[in-house]
Amino acid sequence: MRHLFLIGEAEHRAWLTRRGDGFALDLDGVLTTVSIESAAGSRVRLRVGEATHDVVLVTDGDHVHLHLDGEIYQVTYRDPVSRYAEAAAQGLGDLAKAPMPGSVVAVRVSAGDVVIPGQALVVIESMKLEMAINAERAGVVEGVHVAVGETFERDATLVTLAPDKEG
Amino acid sequence: MRPEGADFPFDTVLVANRGEIAARVLRTVRALGLRSLVVHHAADAGSPAVRMADGLVEITGSTPTAAYLDAGQIIAKALDAGAQAIHPGYGFLSENADFARKIEAAGMVFVGPAPETIELLGDKVSARDFAAGHGFPIAPSAVEAHDPASFADRIRAIGGPMLIKPAGGGGGKGMRIVRDLARLDEELERARSEAGRYFGDPRLYAERYVERPRHIEVQVLGDAYGEVVHLFERECSLQRRFQKVVEEAPSSTLSDAERERICDAAAGIARAARYRNAGTVEFIHGGDAFYFLEMNTRLQVEHPVTEAITGLDLVAEQLKIAAGRPLGFTQSEITRTGHAVEARIYAEDPARGFTPATGRLLAYSPPAGDGVRVDSGVSEGQDITAAFDPLLAKLVVHGADRREALERAARALSDFVVLGCRTNIGFLKRLLRDPDVLAGALHTDLIAEKPALAADPALSPETLTAVLGAAALSIRTVRDAALAVPPLHAALGDWRN
Repeated sequence: MRHLFLIGEAEHRAWLTRRGDGFALDLDGVLTTVSIESAAGSRVRLRVGEATHDVVLVTDGDHVHLHLDGEIYQVTYRDPVSRYAEAAAQGLGDLAKAPMPGSVVAVRVSAGDVVIPGQALVVIESMKLEMAINAERAGVVEGVHVAVGETFERDATLVTLAPDKEG
Repeated sequence: MRPEGADFPFDTVLVANRGEIAARVLRTVRALGLRSLVVHHAADAGSPAVRMADGLVEITGSTPTAAYLDAGQIIAKALDAGAQAIHPGYGFLSENADFARKIEAAGMVFVGPAPETIELLGDKVSARDFAAGHGFPIAPSAVEAHDPASFADRIRAIGGPMLIKPAGGGGGKGMRIVRDLARLDEELERARSEAGRYFGDPRLYAERYVERPRHIEVQVLGDAYGEVVHLFERECSLQRRFQKVVEEAPSSTLSDAERERICDAAAGIARAARYRNAGTVEFIHGGDAFYFLEMNTRLQVEHPVTEAITGLDLVAEQLKIAAGRPLGFTQSEITRTGHAVEARIYAEDPARGFTPATGRLLAYSPPAGDGVRVDSGVSEGQDITAAFDPLLAKLVVHGADRREALERAARALSDFVVLGCRTNIGFLKRLLRDPDVLAGALHTDLIAEKPALAADPALSPETLTAVLGAAALSIRTVRDAALAVPPLHAALGDWRN
């Protein structure tokens, strides 16, 4: 059993374990003692093995944001239940998801429409950037989940295609 | 005591903008001893501009953006609040001749050019015709309005690659490069839709796209008496999606002779237009040639790099010019010192094609130090939404020479803490340390040609351990799971496998 963490698009598996009075991180079988002591507000002192880092760290639900050695990282903890539910949901290209948060400018298809790869399904806008969301494969539109003017978060499902029978 | 303000024919200035530029303009208005007001939509509560103004004018609209574009509402409320002058910042209503005209009709001062000048130069098509008519070079082009029916045919006659632009636009929005003219009709349709929505004007024009060009612009100042000076050029070639990311002054890509020619051309265009206000003349520079691109009749986002090398406060100059004062210096009295770099901090995810990012600013701490200036449009705790453009702040760094300025800027980026919303800070740092950037081999496609700069870098095992260690200790579920395991078993370290 490992916990799953996302940094950007990359998945990492690690485990936290007790070590004496504190904790150690198990990453690929390598155990490293880790500890955090708070300094002021979001500024903390992070000890990793022998090394010490002054870090700015904020936790927001399953997201941990940190500024470490001049770089900014956003780590997301993925709990196993939602992860497997998502993986089981549908295959590649069945969902047209929002690559960014924004609002819907135009809806170009409706349920039952036959679409070809590259065909525009919806047009979205965020921070004045307009983008067409295109079908990744040929298929039949199963559902359009947004309407013109509606806002959505990143990775929201905009359009679903009916499962590919040959796939 | 108001030693400077006493000379102004107005004592209250309303800033009709938001974000970093509203805060920037307010700073000078206050420094001059004038009373400062700022408009604001509820979405901007808690922003720096709202905190620093002497008075607030709340505006409403169907969307936050609509409120900032509502000229009638802003003018009416400005009058009610006792404003005698309006500074438009950039974007929104800054290049709207009708807005300028209505402000003047209401008895207030518009801090900008005469409305007729905005009409002449703010419209890209008439500005190009004007520049060409006065003997300044423009790129081969086709203008839709000249004969809409033959527009596509005229584009095809020039041949690819072509750049399609909204006639009434700016900021790179709605612009498209068409290399394959077989897709021309489709691209024109999308460009028209964007132009209509962003600028309320679907008309387009097209010009020959210069491959790997440099974008050079020249800052000018003109007073109400026909005097015009230039404040040297800015190098703005580092762009993504036609939007500037890093700007410098001076340009490292120009020889002294080229610099003189391009700066003289810019001042010449402004002089021919009897230009009044701070303004920017933009050029495309490719090979040995440069073409007039457009003139921006307002303060520019990247104006601080010019301020850094000339020591002038451009907003103060705008206000003095609007107050009817003559320019306080001649061309030969303007000098430049050292090198300045600006890096734009955008709320976006470079690794996902620079797509916009949103979130709450859980921690926000800009850098400081010698030669470091940060113009922030946001404060800690503020929500970054998809309603506005993604510019959060500008880092401006001045150094003795280009190398020092670039390295100082990269180091300052390392100290820039923005948590809770993805930004391009890591990307900017990699960009400023790119060998071609360090060598000054800049062009507008550089960022697109180096996708590795935008990708999330691979982490060393040490860094990965530190980042995951910090995250694991901070997530309650992960800590609880560790505490649930008896320490004896955990200490053995290998029972899990």
